[in-house]
Amino acid sequence: MKKRVRRELLVYLGMVAPALVIYLFIVAYPVVYSVLLSFSDFNPNRGGVWNFVGFRHYETMLADSNFWYALKNNMIVVGISVFGQIPIGFMLAYILFRKMVKARIFFQTIVFLPHFLSTIVIGIMWKRLFQADGPVSRLIQMITGDPTAQFELMLYPETVMIPIGFALIWIYTGLYMIIFLANLQKIDENLMEAAKIDGATESQIFLKVIVPILAGTILISTILAIAGSLRGFDLIFSITTQGLQRNNAMVLPIFMYQTAFQNYTNEMRFAYGAAISNAIVVISLILILFSRLLSRKRDF
Amino acid sequence: MNSFTVKTNTLESVGWRTLAYIVLIGWALITILPLFWMVYSSFKSNEELVRDIYAFPKELFDNKNDEYIVIKPQLNVVPDYDPEVDTRERLIIESTSISPGRRLMVHFLLKEELPAPVAALEPGDTLELNQLPLDMRIRLSWKTIWFNYRSAFSRGRLGWKFANSLIYAVVSTFMINLFGLMMAFALSKLQFKKLSLVIGGVVGIGYLISINSLIIPLFLMLTSINLTDTHVGIILVYTAFGLPLAVMLDSQFIHGLPSSLIESARMDGASTFRVFRSIIAPMSTPVVVTVSIISALGIWNEFLLVLVLASSEFTKSLPVGVYSFSSLTSTQLGWQLAALVIATTPAMIVYFLFQNRLAEGVVGGAIKG
Repeated sequence: MKKRVRRELLVYLGMVAPALVIYLFIVAYPVVYSVLLSFSDFNPNRGGVWNFVGFRHYETMLADSNFWYALKNNMIVVGISVFGQIPIGFMLAYILFRKMVKARIFFQTIVFLPHFLSTIVIGIMWKRLFQADGPVSRLIQMITGDPTAQFELMLYPETVMIPIGFALIWIYTGLYMIIFLANLQKIDENLMEAAKIDGATESQIFLKVIVPILAGTILISTILAIAGSLRGFDLIFSITTQGLQRNNAMVLPIFMYQTAFQNYTNEMRFAYGAAISNAIVVISLILILFSRLLSRKRDF
Repeated sequence: MNSFTVKTNTLESVGWRTLAYIVLIGWALITILPLFWMVYSSFKSNEELVRDIYAFPKELFDNKNDEYIVIKPQLNVVPDYDPEVDTRERLIIESTSISPGRRLMVHFLLKEELPAPVAALEPGDTLELNQLPLDMRIRLSWKTIWFNYRSAFSRGRLGWKFANSLIYAVVSTFMINLFGLMMAFALSKLQFKKLSLVIGGVVGIGYLISINSLIIPLFLMLTSINLTDTHVGIILVYTAFGLPLAVMLDSQFIHGLPSSLIESARMDGASTFRVFRSIIAPMSTPVVVTVSIISALGIWNEFLLVLVLASSEFTKSLPVGVYSFSSLTSTQLGWQLAALVIATTPAMIVYFLFQNRLAEGVVGGAIKG
């Protein structure tokens, strides 16, 4: 009997091993590596000896004005995701769910499409659309009748996040629409019929019946949006040429990338970069905890 | 009273319906129009793009009467054949309408295939397309239509990068499916439930971890074992980061398969491996398709890992190639747009073919995660 169990265990381990080994080596181990690295004085130019230096890199980071500027932009991206993509996605899902329109599959397919295209490519496309002599400028010229009019929002630090926010909404709204649609379709039809018979209007059904049921989905979408927008790299990297355009649109992942892989004069570049990386994770966790607390307080 | 309520409801619902159509059609247009512009503009010459950014392509298609000028061989005229191997004499001609004088739209015509008066032309002479033999005319006409695409492939070396992207997507997806399915089977149908719970939990957390947040340790690790700038290194990372979603979706699916099937096969003396190969794997086709499409599209579009790991042209993927091509050729908008279309078309085809499966998989991952 015991021998049999041992053989079963061997078979079990054999089935689990390939995935587990790759996963532990390439996902789990780097998590530990990243934490240790951020507390070390690892210097790639000097044979890589590690000494513990405590929070030194985190202190450098907090004193770095680039960090705060990137964080501010990241928070704008989080705001756009949570208060732009999610409500619009919800609204589109609701329209499809209530069968207010025909050709629902067509609309669903189109709106979800950008999510599956390369974000780098989409970023380059919007960069071209927004450039000074590009289609958007031309559209403005045609509408205003002023042949010198230009789309200028990409050029100034105060406004650069507006077109970027638009592109972000363009890409990700479909994802939230699909998530909400799937959960809406689980709702019992009778509930809405009952509300209708009681004389509830469309807006009352929406606010009093649908929204409370979907509170959990809203929370999950918020968590996804926060985590996704803090680590988002590709779109801003390509729409502005590495977040530059005089660093206007710098966000934390690009700041991390430039610190670790482009700033060769900084001897601590990998350790400092790891500290920024970890800070991104910690900030996401704080925001996610915060949104959970908020949703509990509101009694969702 | 009752009929009154119904009436206002209908009126109200007509209003809502109209609004719903406006919103959805508006959003669909905002989604499609930029992509549509990108695709049709990729068939426009640079001159056309400068003249009118919105006009439909014409110049590259309307090439029957294009005029060419004979030019001398020069260093900046890059031949499309190997002059070391192929020493036959060629007439070099350049378009006088598409990027004239910039040596971008150049053809090399074999003199032996040309009629004598054309072959005798000297540098500086002009000729029209209709002076050439028919098959050559058709060939040049196609080359003109696909001018932007040919330039993107040859100057950005996108063909090789396209192949790399395909290798990364296909090989990683295969490993994700195989290893993910094996693990999911063990976790959901074999004994050792407690161990399964622990392993499932550890791997499940991975769904929240992205390549982006571990790029520095990944780079240092792979450097120390000499796997940066190799296909193997990049495929390993893609496989590892694709596993959590695969294990999650596969486990849900396999969990729903009847255990009686497995038990009866066991009774008949089938080994665990045999059960996996002959029962579980074939029955899991639906979830394998879902996982494959999500993983393959994700890998096809991934950027940062290859940007950091790939230092040579040999390992670069399409997004990285398109990105550097677009920053090197910022004045050739037509070429860039062609490169963008090359990178998005395969993803769009897969998306439209498997749209339903994708929605299921994404929602399954998002909610259970």
